[in-house]
Amino acid sequence: MRVLITGMGGELGTRVAQLLEARSDVTEIVGVDFVPPRRRLRRSEFHRIDPLDREKLTGFVTEFAPEAVAHFGIYEPGSRLSPNAASRYTRACAIAALGGAARAGRLQRIALRSGLQVYGRGRGRPGVPDEDAPVAPTTPFGRSLLAVETLAVDLGRRYDLPVAALRMATIAGSHMPSPLGRVLRLPAVPVPALADPAFQLLHQDDAARAMVASLLLDVDGPINVVGPGAASVWQAVRLGGRIPVPVAGPLWSAAAHAVELAGAPAPKHVIELLTRGSAGDGSKAGDVLGLGDLRSTLDVCTELYEWATVTALRPDVPNVEAVRG
Amino acid sequence: MGDVTALPRVGVTGGGADPFATGGFQVDLDRAQTVRCAEVVRRRFDGRFAIDAFGADPQLQDLLAPIVHGVVRVSVTGAEHIPTDGPGLFVSNRGLGVLEPAALSVAVRNESCRRLRVIGATDLPILGDLARKFGSFAAYPGDLAALLRAGHLAALPLASTWLRSGGGVPPTELLVAVLGYPVIPVAIRPGGPFGLPIMPWRVTFGTPIVVGELRERDPLSAAELAEAVRAAVQNLA
Repeated sequence: MRVLITGMGGELGTRVAQLLEARSDVTEIVGVDFVPPRRRLRRSEFHRIDPLDREKLTGFVTEFAPEAVAHFGIYEPGSRLSPNAASRYTRACAIAALGGAARAGRLQRIALRSGLQVYGRGRGRPGVPDEDAPVAPTTPFGRSLLAVETLAVDLGRRYDLPVAALRMATIAGSHMPSPLGRVLRLPAVPVPALADPAFQLLHQDDAARAMVASLLLDVDGPINVVGPGAASVWQAVRLGGRIPVPVAGPLWSAAAHAVELAGAPAPKHVIELLTRGSAGDGSKAGDVLGLGDLRSTLDVCTELYEWATVTALRPDVPNVEAVRG
Repeated sequence: MGDVTALPRVGVTGGGADPFATGGFQVDLDRAQTVRCAEVVRRRFDGRFAIDAFGADPQLQDLLAPIVHGVVRVSVTGAEHIPTDGPGLFVSNRGLGVLEPAALSVAVRNESCRRLRVIGATDLPILGDLARKFGSFAAYPGDLAALLRAGHLAALPLASTWLRSGGGVPPTELLVAVLGYPVIPVAIRPGGPFGLPIMPWRVTFGTPIVVGELRERDPLSAAELAEAVRAAVQNLA
């Protein structure tokens, strides 16, 4: 199987490449992104192509003619790009990579990273939506994800391909660049003054495993992938020993600016998670993808705070171990 | 109509992501437990407690349970129909609908040591959040289906029948989500003269009803189930 991984430079894309490298039935793995992979890859081939260079990306993908696409070219606002740039990159990557792959004529399946943000939050929406719940995103990131899903499903229909849309909970981990993780790691974290909503997380390794499983099992349709259990916002802040700062109503806008000044940009979907929670029914993932041992949300939340403490190296102390001690 | 003894716990035995997992914090989200107030308070400060995806906090429920049991007393008939394990939906009558769900929760907890999740949380700030912490959840078919898939017990009050007897109108749109699961009709009556809630509430559980197949979304089957359960509650009341 010839697999194309878009967004291979990210933590998830790199991890998916590593998992696919371990499989003998995957003959060729080629990845594209505008940044290089984050880990060492043995037999994967990486091409540094900016998704905004649509002509070059389409040409490359068409020439490679993949049989399967693992689409991680979804750029979360506030993760590595600003909200506007993230939306532009996400759209450009989906159009160029998926369109090029479909037109090449050998494509058999698409698996793409989506998110629970496509369901939206707030009044009139279920608290724990399953895959049959109506999609009505309430944030720019949710709308961006839904646009990619729609494009992929249209392609799937036109070319008769199975399209697995993995609607993942917010992906987090100790080494994952995540806006939510950065906000929660601040010494003082804004929390809703009048509520304590529940949210779910997904560990980065589990997200990669879900993607590989959906590629290999020929899954079609949306699937929620969430870490078992849940955490509340106040609880998550206390779990990390941080100080909760109650915020209500219009003060959230000021709080978003304050955390950004403190080094943790909080795009709208992160503020929505903090104020309205984020959850989904992940039972189908267990039945269809066979993922029964996902890390729980509380474990992921705990791991967020196990970020290794930065140790300053002093020139007069040559032994690193001595500094650690 | 069917047998309720061998129903699978879809989503739990299927190895799915259980939205009710506790992350190793030693809390059983289905079985009632005894808790110490000091421990509950301490865990609230260090964040080491479990909640589920709906926001329910089982330790807070366990803390409040003795108080509710002291205020709302019940006498139970037909307790053998309460599922000892796996999912189930109790459909009950209600008058004003304030104390009946509490009486049903107390009855289920007394007889089976299981927690009951009641449909009807509001979207209002503070009130809605508090209701969810104590086990209530909003009336969405998807939420109800997720709860049952995870093998929990839920309660669905029929429409209010204040100053009348019998069962109210069943919400067919919600019953679509429970096809294939056991639905247990329940009659809840105040024990005092003239229907005054001054004596123990009389809670009567009926024979479980199963209509349709799991994950089926057939409105006709749901309408049949609605009529069957309404008639069953009416007969019990």
